[in-house]
Amino acid sequence: MSDVEEHDYRAEDDADMQDENVQGEQEEVDAPQEHEGRRAEYDEEQEDEEDEEDEEEELSGKKSAKRAKHRHKRSAASRFIDIEAEVSDEDEDEEEEGDYADDGFIESDVEDDASRRHHAMLTARTLHEQEDRSPEQIAKDLSKRYGGRGASHYTGDTNEIPQRLLMPSVHDASLWQVRVKAGRERDIVLSLMRKSIDVEFTAKPLQILAAFQRDSLPGMVYVEARSAKQVIQAVNGLVGVYISRGIHLVPIEEMASLLQIKKQEQTVTPGTWVRIRRGKYAGDLAQVVDITENGEDVGLRFIPRIDLTPRDDAAVDGKKRKKQTTGTGTMRPPQRLFNYEEVIKVYGRKLVSKRNQVYVFQNETYREGFIEKDFKLSALSLEDVNPTLDEIQQFSRKQDSEGDNLVDLSVIAEASRKAAISVLQPGDHVEVFEGEQAGVHGVVEEISGDVVTITAKGVELEGQKIELPARSVRKRFKPGDHVKVMSGQNTDETGLVVSVVDNIVTFISDMSMQEISVFSKDLREAAEVGSSTNVVGNYELHDLVQLDAQTVGVIFRTERDSFRVLDQNGQVRLVQPHQISMSRNSNRAIAVDSEGHEIRVNDNMKEVDGEARKGRVLHIYQSFYAFLHNREYQENGGVFVTRTRSLASVAPKGSLVKPTGDLSKMNPAVMQPTGGMVGSGNMGRGPRDRHIGLTVTIVKGPQKGYAGTIKDTNGNICRVELRTGNKIITIEKDKLRERQSDGTLTPLDGRPRGPPGGRTWGGPPQARAANPYAEGGRTPGWGVGRTPNPYADGKTPAWNASSRTPNPYADGGKTPAWNASSRTPNPYADGGKTPAWNASSRTPNPYASGGGAAGWATPRPNSNAGAGWATPGPTATNNNGWGDSSPAHSTSGATPGAPGWGSASGWAGGDTWGPASAPTPAPSAPTPAVTGTPYPSTPAAYPRTPAGVSRFDGSSYTAATPAGGSLYPDDLEPSAEHGKDEEEEFNWLFDPALGQHLKRVKVQIHGTHHANYLGGDYEGKVGRVLGAAKAAEGFEQTAMIEFEDGESRSILARYIVPVEPHELRQEVLVIRGQHKGTAAKVHETPDSAMVALVVKGPEQIRVLEAAKHDLAVLYDT
Amino acid sequence: MNTGPELDRIPANARSKALRACLLCSIVQTPQEFRKGGCPNCEEILQLKGSPDRITSCTTTYFDGLITVINPENSWAARWQRISKYVRGVYAVRVKGRIPEDVEAELESRGIKYRPRDQTDQD
Repeated sequence: MSDVEEHDYRAEDDADMQDENVQGEQEEVDAPQEHEGRRAEYDEEQEDEEDEEDEEEELSGKKSAKRAKHRHKRSAASRFIDIEAEVSDEDEDEEEEGDYADDGFIESDVEDDASRRHHAMLTARTLHEQEDRSPEQIAKDLSKRYGGRGASHYTGDTNEIPQRLLMPSVHDASLWQVRVKAGRERDIVLSLMRKSIDVEFTAKPLQILAAFQRDSLPGMVYVEARSAKQVIQAVNGLVGVYISRGIHLVPIEEMASLLQIKKQEQTVTPGTWVRIRRGKYAGDLAQVVDITENGEDVGLRFIPRIDLTPRDDAAVDGKKRKKQTTGTGTMRPPQRLFNYEEVIKVYGRKLVSKRNQVYVFQNETYREGFIEKDFKLSALSLEDVNPTLDEIQQFSRKQDSEGDNLVDLSVIAEASRKAAISVLQPGDHVEVFEGEQAGVHGVVEEISGDVVTITAKGVELEGQKIELPARSVRKRFKPGDHVKVMSGQNTDETGLVVSVVDNIVTFISDMSMQEISVFSKDLREAAEVGSSTNVVGNYELHDLVQLDAQTVGVIFRTERDSFRVLDQNGQVRLVQPHQISMSRNSNRAIAVDSEGHEIRVNDNMKEVDGEARKGRVLHIYQSFYAFLHNREYQENGGVFVTRTRSLASVAPKGSLVKPTGDLSKMNPAVMQPTGGMVGSGNMGRGPRDRHIGLTVTIVKGPQKGYAGTIKDTNGNICRVELRTGNKIITIEKDKLRERQSDGTLTPLDGRPRGPPGGRTWGGPPQARAANPYAEGGRTPGWGVGRTPNPYADGKTPAWNASSRTPNPYADGGKTPAWNASSRTPNPYADGGKTPAWNASSRTPNPYASGGGAAGWATPRPNSNAGAGWATPGPTATNNNGWGDSSPAHSTSGATPGAPGWGSASGWAGGDTWGPASAPTPAPSAPTPAVTGTPYPSTPAAYPRTPAGVSRFDGSSYTAATPAGGSLYPDDLEPSAEHGKDEEEEFNWLFDPALGQHLKRVKVQIHGTHHANYLGGDYEGKVGRVLGAAKAAEGFEQTAMIEFEDGESRSILARYIVPVEPHELRQEVLVIRGQHKGTAAKVHETPDSAMVALVVKGPEQIRVLEAAKHDLAVLYDT
Repeated sequence: MNTGPELDRIPANARSKALRACLLCSIVQTPQEFRKGGCPNCEEILQLKGSPDRITSCTTTYFDGLITVINPENSWAARWQRISKYVRGVYAVRVKGRIPEDVEAELESRGIKYRPRDQTDQD
């Protein structure tokens, strides 16, 4: 203990005394001997420290005796060292004065109330000193002392001092931050108090001065003490204190702010919307009616939930009922305005009383249908109330008479505006609706905190950047905008804006054709049509689903996590995904219409009786019910169900359809040689799966190494009968390898290719895994929805163009899938590179390309070569996994199947080419030469055909017919394939569009092990492309690569793969697809198949999205 | 122990929702304690003892932060909170609300400046 400190305390205490002169008396508290003793002690202490040996000698017998006498007192006296200091100081004065009375101090203590606090401590000591006093007397003193407490004067004397003068100084004790268990802060603070009282008179009293906790600082307690040691001593042993996490000194300038922290004040004013947190009304919106004076209780008005169907016995007497509802609390009654008649009907007149305008029922007050009830503020949530328009309307409906409607709406507008700040995004079109800049509109450039920077648009301010508070802008929409709802009950609805009133936007939904009003904050401009949540769980819009053993239905509307289903009886049901037992495929189903003609899925039909509705057949169930869809009907999302017998084709020359359909079936030449079920030729399924019966070995998973036979397949899943244990297991195909007779293993899809090179085209398994189709999951390309439905969105004209060739199969070759392929990774493109192509395109038959379109899985070069277009490819397609991924695909994939042409018109969305193609299946079959014409013989036609088509053909020809391939300038254009076979993948290397960035592209050598190219020494090596020049057709393409280790050499192009981005902000080059040639930076962590990119252009920043496998990492320049 | 009454005053359970803070001196007690012993600092003015109505109007549950004052006279925190002249005990850092107007008038008549405990006027 230093002298300085002592001195300070003295000074402080002196000041105190001046404040309260009454305290002067307390100086008499101590007996003179004691003073002496104390001082002696002090001297001793000092001497102890400084020179102990000397002291030993110097100590007189008297002194040592004294010392011994005061030993025990010393401990008591030094309990509070500061007091000692004070006392010793006073002692000197008193000694000089020389008058003190032994007896007097207790009386003065008791009499003087003002000084009692100080006395509390002094008394404690006194008690110690006067051990000889009787317990009775002690008790008496105590009761006197504490009895007098109630009469204390409230002075409020410190209230005059301005707060700033109370700022901590260096002389004050420090604050120490102690980490504690979150949630136990209050307990710990209280424990400290109790502990300090407990140990007050022990040998080790707590020396801390105070401790506090703030609700806004969870996990922390602050202790005021002179040293960290004192803090540790104080908190030691308390449950929930993490001493090990350190005790930190709070800087002096931060001390005051700790006590000044204010909670974000959420003021409640009448009219505010709040939500009730707990109880029967949890989550319900309520409006504040009044607030009690102290702000604790809030009177709320909200919609009651009165149980109008109480149990019979309960209704008899109220008490019983009450118990039940509170006790069981099973279902809470729906929100419903209080209706006197209804309630007395159920509960009887006795239980409802009426006072003035108010009904009282079960101790609750009901006014104008609403319940009015007081709630504690803590039982309400004031933040994130986000009242929806519907909820508000429920309130305002009844308030019409009152006329405070507008006020309410302004409150909600205010509430929603706050929320609006958080939903702004760069690129949003906003307008300023308040403040100086009111009326200005522009595009959000940047948002930082509450400030948005917008680039103004309009006459004067064009192009200027303006900073604005976020709360004074709102999203701007104009009639005609196509918008999407981002949040709320109508999430994912899209539609066309028809009117905008302030911040309420009304649009017509694309799906339901109904007007929907939402707040502009919940909207975003969006190009996509339809609900993006068309898929919930495994089910999708317009799927035929089995609800129970007797019932099937068609999903006509998807909601956030449920479906609206129209069942075969015409009833609408709301079902959850788990209520659906399975999704049914009616693609093969056929039925007979009223004229005896065949109906298939996707036919355009009309009702011959009843309402004469028209529609496209979505599904046929049990050959009896047909589910049709027509976007023009609003009801049930345009889906309706009818009997097949009451349908007739809408095709103008229905008679033509019939013979064609029949012909194709009757003509054995047209029939699938593989012998699909008669009557199901439409889908051309052929054999169930070419993999069935294969001997395979499992190469992954717990059964790795086991051999077995594929018994059944379903998409990507096989049932394999193991040779061991006679067990049948279910396993993914990609865990299987075919076991050849010589014991070698080959990938299931990859039969040995033979010449050249003997590579299996199946590619390495990881490449296949990259193929979303192979995984049977949802295809990202489609999911993105850039072309949500190529069949429906008017791509047909392109076909008409291509159908200049008289051959409908050529059309098949150019199915809209091709259009799609130009933008999305297209599995069909694989078809172009299947060995089948080599075979079939040797006979220059474009139909082969048609077959290939769907037949990317055609692994049967032999049958292809022999059978030409009648390839079973499509079959394979359907069985091959991606057919399951979306019905739209499976339809298209199935189309090329020979007999399917008549109905294939259906998915084109029009009758236009259906009839045209229908009559001519036969010619196409026997005359491959004719069908072949367009491509090989008229290369000039290529530029006119859609890009996707020519690209595709280019690649396929490149592979198959070198001579032909060279004809096409499109050769350079890689097809948008991926994964399945990298043979074409390297084409990007020679793409002039990438030229300027090519030398920065990071590439990796891949697949050399497999082919033992260069001994596999370069496998996995990474480097940059030095140069690539296209070699003449028929030669292996090579590129010069400089490896990171400095070596450079030319490598066969097909082993060069671009390095895909794997982290944020990597610079990448889009090497394929829509944005080909664009250098960009990765905007999001590229862990999904689609990667968001940022392109910094000269004027603006663009965000785009590309498939990950279409990206190549760039080296820095 | 002689500290019995004082210990009693310390709320036993921090989670107790019933804890109330005096609007004038910010001491935190249970309503029972307020009823039994009144406010240890400002009973003279508030007269809470045995009067539940006064307790509801002069104390509140709406407070933030607990501060344990062990040595009021030497503690800076206590001085900052203007509770250094009060009994030691548990106080609230911030109390929302104002004392009733009659109490405010009473204070004024005594020449005592009323400082609300909600930290609204920091001078």
